[in-house]
Amino acid sequence: MEKLLLYLAYPFVRYALVVGVLIALCSSLLGVTLVLKRFSFIGDGLSHVAFGAMAISGILGVTNDTLVVLPITIVSAILLLKTGQNTKIKGDAAIAMISVGALAFGYLLMNIFSTSSNLSGDVCSTLFGSTSILTLRKEEVWLCAILSVLVVLFFIFFYNKIFDVTFDENFARSAGTKVDLYNLIIAVIIAVIIVLAMNLVGSLLISALIIFPALSAMRLFDSFKSVTICSAIVSVICAFGGIIVSILAGTPVGSTIVAVDVVVFFVCFIVGKIKGGSRA
Amino acid sequence: MRKKIFGFIGIVMMTVMLSACGNTNSKVDQVIQNQMQEADTVTDKSEDTKDIMETETDQFSESTENLFAEYVAEDTVSESVLGDNIDLTVLSSTMVYSEVYNMMYSPHNYEGKTVKMNGLFVAYTNKDKSQYYPAVIIADATACCLQGLEFILEGNPAYPAGYPEVDTEITVVGTFETYEEDGYTYCRLQNAKIL
Repeated sequence: MEKLLLYLAYPFVRYALVVGVLIALCSSLLGVTLVLKRFSFIGDGLSHVAFGAMAISGILGVTNDTLVVLPITIVSAILLLKTGQNTKIKGDAAIAMISVGALAFGYLLMNIFSTSSNLSGDVCSTLFGSTSILTLRKEEVWLCAILSVLVVLFFIFFYNKIFDVTFDENFARSAGTKVDLYNLIIAVIIAVIIVLAMNLVGSLLISALIIFPALSAMRLFDSFKSVTICSAIVSVICAFGGIIVSILAGTPVGSTIVAVDVVVFFVCFIVGKIKGGSRA
Repeated sequence: MRKKIFGFIGIVMMTVMLSACGNTNSKVDQVIQNQMQEADTVTDKSEDTKDIMETETDQFSESTENLFAEYVAEDTVSESVLGDNIDLTVLSSTMVYSEVYNMMYSPHNYEGKTVKMNGLFVAYTNKDKSQYYPAVIIADATACCLQGLEFILEGNPAYPAGYPEVDTEITVVGTFETYEEDGYTYCRLQNAKIL
């Protein structure tokens, strides 16, 4: 306990906890929608796109790579999600195309136009997010907090529309809902969350933040609202617990958070089985 | 709509609470005040007992204040977290890596502080091998990234005299300083000792 108090006295630890919790909250809210729309791996795809964009920003010598990464990721998200359900190349194939292509080109460009003395280290750190969350500046914390609040507000105020667009786009469109607009907004928000979440768990593990809380909640509850609230609570607890465990035990932050997510999923699975809860 | 407004208010309150979570001073003051008020309201008629209780309360208040005074952090940096002594040997590898990163990123906040750290000894050299830069390095949790701190032993002996073998695990303590070389700012521990 004394050691934990000591660690909590460091500002970068508090920043990591605040940002980690906010990112986990936002990703879990959107995660329910994505899982139900069968876009579970969108996080993986977009994070690989962001990785490729980071490679480009490094080559261009851009100091703040968010200026390059965020727009490229948003455009990719729009291409993947705005087309909605009535598209020729379906969700999983489209994600796979963009994902592996961006990852391959990103790593290729980083090797050819290397600007770092430790390429492997930079790539490893970006992919797995070992300590990125613990090296945040105060401005980055504020940026994350503002974006997270906006995402949560959007989810609260447009909950009904998101519900409609998630379950049946065609019906929502016939009822007068601007489905394309909401798909566009959701795509932008997902891109923002992915770019922020790369700092927390790295590119390869982002999908866990999106998928596991939603699936854990679906083991326990049936209604969209209950699943969403439960998913948010599970995600926040797992992120908080994962960060605390990683700084105490000296383990990589991203992997520890995902490990906690997996454990909680199995617990919820067992509880759901005992309760006789419905499946996803 | 009312639910959404309440939800919005809830989020604003949560954000405000989160932004104030580092203000340990107010919590400490409150605890100390409560403790002191409780001590003052004791109605024990024995003067000796009251004196003893007040003494213990004062000692507790003082020790608590001292403990938390060391841990109060300023704004964006940890310059006052541990006072002038920064002991990285008591931290986990994840924390050490992050703190060393902060030292490299904001070195001016660590100038003059005594830093103690544990890691592997390495000696880097410049291109023509005319100068050596002894350093102690640590790896992050995935062991793919390394952070390190250059150090100069007390008396400034010429490498390799007085320095251990490369890749030896060492604990070094020294005074943190920055210096300029070829137009770049570097960090190192001055007057260092290997424990």
